[in-house]
Amino acid sequence: MSKKKQAAGTNLLYQLIAEARTYDDVIVMGRGDPDFDTPAHIVEAAKHAMIHHQDDVAPPAGLPALREAIAARVKRVNNIDIDPASEVVVTNGGQEALFLMVLAALGEGDELIVPEPNYNTYADSLAFAGGVKVAVQTAHEADFRADPAVVRAAITEKTRALLLVSPNNPAANVISPADMRALVDIAIQHDLMILADDIYDLFVYDDFVHTSPASLPGGKERSLTLNALSKAYSMTGWRLGWVVGPADLMARVAELKAAISGGTSIISQHAGIAALTGPQDAVDMMAAAYARRRRLVLDALDEMGMQYGVPQGGQFVFANIAFTGMDSAEVAQRILSEQHVLAYPGSAFSKERKDYLRMTFLQPEEQLIEGLRRMKLAMASL
Amino acid sequence: MASQTKTKILARHAANAALNIPLPGISMRGAHDLGADEPFYPLDEQIIAGAVEALESGQTHYVDVPGIAPLREAIAKHLNAACGTSWQSANILVTAGMQEARFLTIQIIGAQYDQIGVPTVAHPGVQKALGVRRRQVVSLSVETEQGCLPSLDEIAATLKKGCRLFYLESPSRLSGAAYTQNQVARIADMLAQHDAAAIWDQGLARWVDEGCSSLAALAEGSTAAIGEAWHGIGLGSWLVGSIAAPTDWIAPMQSQKQIMAICTSTASQYAALAASEIFGETHQQRLGQMRGQRAAALAMASELGLDLVPGAANNLLALHADASARGRLAEAGIDFAAGEDFGACDIVRLNIGAATVTAIEALG
Repeated sequence: MSKKKQAAGTNLLYQLIAEARTYDDVIVMGRGDPDFDTPAHIVEAAKHAMIHHQDDVAPPAGLPALREAIAARVKRVNNIDIDPASEVVVTNGGQEALFLMVLAALGEGDELIVPEPNYNTYADSLAFAGGVKVAVQTAHEADFRADPAVVRAAITEKTRALLLVSPNNPAANVISPADMRALVDIAIQHDLMILADDIYDLFVYDDFVHTSPASLPGGKERSLTLNALSKAYSMTGWRLGWVVGPADLMARVAELKAAISGGTSIISQHAGIAALTGPQDAVDMMAAAYARRRRLVLDALDEMGMQYGVPQGGQFVFANIAFTGMDSAEVAQRILSEQHVLAYPGSAFSKERKDYLRMTFLQPEEQLIEGLRRMKLAMASL
Repeated sequence: MASQTKTKILARHAANAALNIPLPGISMRGAHDLGADEPFYPLDEQIIAGAVEALESGQTHYVDVPGIAPLREAIAKHLNAACGTSWQSANILVTAGMQEARFLTIQIIGAQYDQIGVPTVAHPGVQKALGVRRRQVVSLSVETEQGCLPSLDEIAATLKKGCRLFYLESPSRLSGAAYTQNQVARIADMLAQHDAAAIWDQGLARWVDEGCSSLAALAEGSTAAIGEAWHGIGLGSWLVGSIAAPTDWIAPMQSQKQIMAICTSTASQYAALAASEIFGETHQQRLGQMRGQRAAALAMASELGLDLVPGAANNLLALHADASARGRLAEAGIDFAAGEDFGACDIVRLNIGAATVTAIEALG
């Protein structure tokens, strides 16, 4: 037989999102899509580009001016020195950056160490590449800290890379500078690549500090680092992100980018230049709003008696619902059906996290308060 | 000390020659750029207005993975009217340009089959998409005198060998040659007899005088039709493409699209939606203009005794050109698409435009 049977592929989140759309009064605390619209000056720059840059054609790696803006940004925010001509590839959002990073670094049978819970697309991308995920479990009681000693113990002769997402999605922990130093040292000692996801680097709370592994001695030459404008500038629909890394690897990333999608929308790229080089007050405003909302959510969870890892950064909280005795998919379904609140089940992120829910604080405060009120009702009824 | 891990990674990529093949530009960079995949035209104000209105009304967030509903509907409607299919919105997946459509179809539909039959001459993006995760490829030889399309006999022979999935371009992305309606009907029959399927690149079909002869019209349940939305309207660098396919193929491609991009740029999608409203009339005007320019270029090429490759799409022409001829094109400041990137060594592809006659003169 030449023809194979089609592999089944269902996505739990699709079902929940589809149902959520049927409720007029739904409060979405699931998807990582900021409620703020894209700042006006960025939209204006896009409009200007539509009229004045219609005939711009970018190479697959992106417009030179955007790559320069990205290089300046990663120097300013992440303390990574890169050459904009050879060490940046512009992508269709952070998601494509993630896919490219995994495909570039990992091949058939290669192992990637993944502190869990983590963003499920890493596992999907790794599966596409034929790689193997080696999960390192963390606990909410320790605010989901990935202990470097546990990471080291997970290394085998097939290990090729470490995944370091900080702040993490969905766990919202931030890797401390000391831990990051230790993890980079482990990568150096065991000759591993580092896949770094800095997409939430501008949203860090309290006294926590974001550190990019590529900013540390010995880190840059073995790190691919992704970021995107989606979260920081509320530009999820524009699909604009990037990967930075050493030139030899980035040449491979650029080839893969050309093979997968050929390029990135010229309008989004011009909008990206405006975002990175224009006023940053909107980012500060959003960060302040998320900090306030985070407090609201944590207070509500405390009232409900729910346990969680304190979100040190990011835009989520990953809360434990083991006390319900129910699977998170069932709990998420009940909350949605009964109270019209969409939260994501932990099982969507990891099969070991069936007793967690991910809730975002990406809604206006009045909606968030109402969503939390309804969630209390739902949890009380379980 | 140098990283052995990195050295191994680089060696793995270096061994994958397909990834090194250059792609033509997406859209023309000026009158003398005759090598890009799409002609450039200034955008109609209505298209810009559509995108601006969407952005100003807050359409700056994630949208549905397969595309915004009205665009999917518009694409289905357009394909049905132009090609005689009966697609519904659910059959449409909006992609971030043509290359993403190639990648998703080749990799995801391809994963359902042991082999994929691919012409030895095709858009370089095909080999690149295949190179990301190698599939077992059966090469279909092509005949230059048939515009670099695989013959029906070649397709039949490949079916006999057990290949059940084909990637076919009609029109050819190199020559513009297209299968006739009768040939398409025969291909559909052959595929049906063997329970085989096809990925059918029909992105250039609207540039053919005879119109779109789509395999999907005859084999809708076993064809994925791909193309730009909308080729030649001026949205090349905005990167909007589409896949029309049976829903049981759309589902896994949608999942993969979620994994690798989440969705296509909202500004691009709303611009494409606005473009759908004017595409028919605008395209007819441009087709008429192109037809005239191409006829003039062909007449001059014939006078000069140039060796043309048969083609039917009015937006391009292909001809044999050795190193010396290419040197003359370069001296004239003309950019062209090199046939070797498509798998045909001695051929160049020229877009039809104001500078095409200059290019022909240089070649003569």
